[in-house]
Amino acid sequence: MSSLVGVLIDATLITLILALAASGLAVVFGLIGVINMGHGAMLTLGAYFTWAATTAGLPFIAAVPVAALSVAVIGLILEHVLIRHFYSRPFETLLLTWGFFMVSTEVIKIVFGADFRSVANPLPGTLEFGGLQIPAYRALVAVLSLVILLTIGIIYKKTTFGLRVRALVQNQEVASLLGQDSAFLYKQVFVAGAFLSGLAGALISPMLSIDPYIGNVYLVRSFFAVTLGGLGRLVEGTILGSFVIGGSETIFALTTSQVFAQTIVFVLAVVLLRFFPRGLLAGRS
Amino acid sequence: MTHTDLPNATPGSNVRFGAEIKLAFAVFAGMALLPLFMSGYLVYILPQYMIFGVLAMSLALLWGVTGILSFGQAGFFAIGGYAIGLMTGGALPFGGLILGLVAAVLLGYLVAALIGYFLFSAGVRDAYFVLVTLSLSIVVEQIAVSQSQWTGGWNGMFILRPTIDLGFVRLELFEDVPVYYAVLLAVALIYLGLYAFTRSRFGKILVGIRENEPRLLSLGVPTALHKTAAFALSGAVAALAGAMYGMHSGFVSPSLGGVLFSTEVVVWVAIAGRTSLIGALLGGIIVSSLSNFLSAVTPTYWQLALGLIFILTIAFFRGGVAGALERVVSRRKSAQS
Amino acid sequence: MTPLLTVQNLTKRFQGLVANEGVNFSLSEGEIRSVIGPNGAGKSTFISMISGHLSPSEGQIVFRGKDITAFDVQRRARLGIIRKFQTPSVFLSLTARENIELAVIASGTPSTKQNGRIDEVLDLVRMTALADSEAAILSHGQRQWLEIGLLLGARAQLLLLDEPTAGMTAEETQATVQLIRYLTQELRLSAIIIEHDINFIRDLKAPITVLHLGKVFCEGIFEDVSADPHVRNIYLGEE
Repeated sequence: MSSLVGVLIDATLITLILALAASGLAVVFGLIGVINMGHGAMLTLGAYFTWAATTAGLPFIAAVPVAALSVAVIGLILEHVLIRHFYSRPFETLLLTWGFFMVSTEVIKIVFGADFRSVANPLPGTLEFGGLQIPAYRALVAVLSLVILLTIGIIYKKTTFGLRVRALVQNQEVASLLGQDSAFLYKQVFVAGAFLSGLAGALISPMLSIDPYIGNVYLVRSFFAVTLGGLGRLVEGTILGSFVIGGSETIFALTTSQVFAQTIVFVLAVVLLRFFPRGLLAGRS
Repeated sequence: MTHTDLPNATPGSNVRFGAEIKLAFAVFAGMALLPLFMSGYLVYILPQYMIFGVLAMSLALLWGVTGILSFGQAGFFAIGGYAIGLMTGGALPFGGLILGLVAAVLLGYLVAALIGYFLFSAGVRDAYFVLVTLSLSIVVEQIAVSQSQWTGGWNGMFILRPTIDLGFVRLELFEDVPVYYAVLLAVALIYLGLYAFTRSRFGKILVGIRENEPRLLSLGVPTALHKTAAFALSGAVAALAGAMYGMHSGFVSPSLGGVLFSTEVVVWVAIAGRTSLIGALLGGIIVSSLSNFLSAVTPTYWQLALGLIFILTIAFFRGGVAGALERVVSRRKSAQS
Repeated sequence: MTPLLTVQNLTKRFQGLVANEGVNFSLSEGEIRSVIGPNGAGKSTFISMISGHLSPSEGQIVFRGKDITAFDVQRRARLGIIRKFQTPSVFLSLTARENIELAVIASGTPSTKQNGRIDEVLDLVRMTALADSEAAILSHGQRQWLEIGLLLGARAQLLLLDEPTAGMTAEETQATVQLIRYLTQELRLSAIIIEHDINFIRDLKAPITVLHLGKVFCEGIFEDVSADPHVRNIYLGEE
């Protein structure tokens, strides 16, 4: 696409899709500081579960929540068995969740095989917009991404549950003194993050050919998006960070190769993080 | 992030140095004797795992000694491999073995020094540093793939075994046994150099940075510079290992620099024991050779088992095998006294 | 005699909170100053601005005639301004000797003189017998002393001691008085000490600066300050 409108639309779509993929990490890393290196694996699991559900006969619209819930259950098990003992030790969490990635990838290979799978596009066809052809499903996912992010934002800012989470984020010590069961709260937040990652994987699955490493494309990008946006800035931060990482890559890729664009974006992200360690919205430290 | 880490008292971090040197001597002596008992194939392939052991040591230096975790050591490994390939393959108007090795080491050192200084001077640490080194691996792999006119892209690059011509002696490195001893000698020398380094004033400061960086900073030590130097050294050693690998295996490809290999190195060192150089060396050799052997037989189940062992190690045995052994030894010693 | 340290108009504001305001302070070589005040008086903030852990919103810090206001922690430590933290901060998995060794290395002492210096410092803080014990197994009081040892090993000229006798027995507290007196009288080191222990402050016989609500409330010797009804009131929250 060479027209300006086309580029902007493409960048917007990619930004929103990356924001969706990063949302689980924005919750788990952004709010309770869990460096979830298994985030990509959760996306992958969401995709595979969707494939399994649709192959078993479920319509796509039912398969998605089933897949997301399944990943949430896995997240619950992981949290209960391992993660909850290591909240104060981010290094260990990082490595343990990487171990989770290793194990779940192999289990996927054993259960599903390593061949490419694909999920049928539930909304084929394209939309006409300003003289351009936009894949309908992509547009739908982008819209859903916005809806999901806004929902998360509303839950976080406007509900009692969100208030408790915010208290936890601000000051863990005080929050537990206030008689809250912070252990249970951590659990809920972690599982919510896993659910979102699984949901993202499920929704994105028709757009890619699925293999055991598919989610990892989003791992580093999600981390960059969330940290550039600012930890704790669930909606505006995730979207801004996703634009810097995803949208700008699209724009760079116009003038150079895809690979070079990705390299530039990573370098840019590292440089920006060095100067804005608390995210672009926080101002210079 | 508002999470404050407790002082990072790593178990096994006081590997008593007398014990380590004796163990190292035993290991190298043992390895020198192995060709007398081993089959030809093992004599041929073991040097490659020894080189992986050097790569593991580069991470142990950074992670075990200084407390900085890097998910990008493979990136430097690949830089070294491609550097030696370019310098000895005639692609450039200058070259040769010595220049190639120097270029590999220098390139690894400089890339690490630049990235390290850029990040450490701003106080970037922990998770962010892991993220950056992870990206480094991705970027190195991508560059290796895309610059195919230099690197051969996905097809990789073939490297001829160079001849060591020192004027008074000329070694054609084609026979397995001489190659085995040449690599063993090189690895032993690298080990001794790194060991001496960890015992030096600089090495002790690195340990201090690992144990309690804020305290050390408040005593007047410019910790960011030291961390940069540690990272630069680990990059240089990893690149040297990559160059050796290139020469030995005769072939380098982009996956040598990628994330999966980088994280394999972390797994080796975590399981073996990150604070012991000889432990990391052995761990690198043993786990990588086991991996290659078992991957041929049952790749998925081996990787699954490795993943589970890794999780167990991080959760329960932070010092790895070396740490666990050291605790057994010190418990015996205190029981005797 | 020009003072070792001069602090002028030192002010620190956090969002909406003024932790220190217009603090003027000076210290001579070989002098001890006790800094006291009720909780929230701004003592820790004050010490943090001297050590460099916090940068002032306003004001100037001059050390040995040099304006060090913009210097960071590490640079100030190199000049000899070193802090002992409220919660003892040592290298827990290293032995006492290895702890001191690190400090001595940090000071840039030539390697031939290092061992001698390490022994000297260990002796000063009475850790010679414990030299090969891991810092982790030392008692709280011993760790405080080990940390003072770190400061000495690193050639501190101005010791910033943040509650050095917290958690110590009466005996240990007395010994600390002796140690600080020795360091300042015999070795001509200087010290600013934040403390709550009345007995310690009295036995130290050093000039006192009282902080309250971020400002210098009054200064004087122990007898005068402890008799001052206004000082008593600020502790009771009545001023």
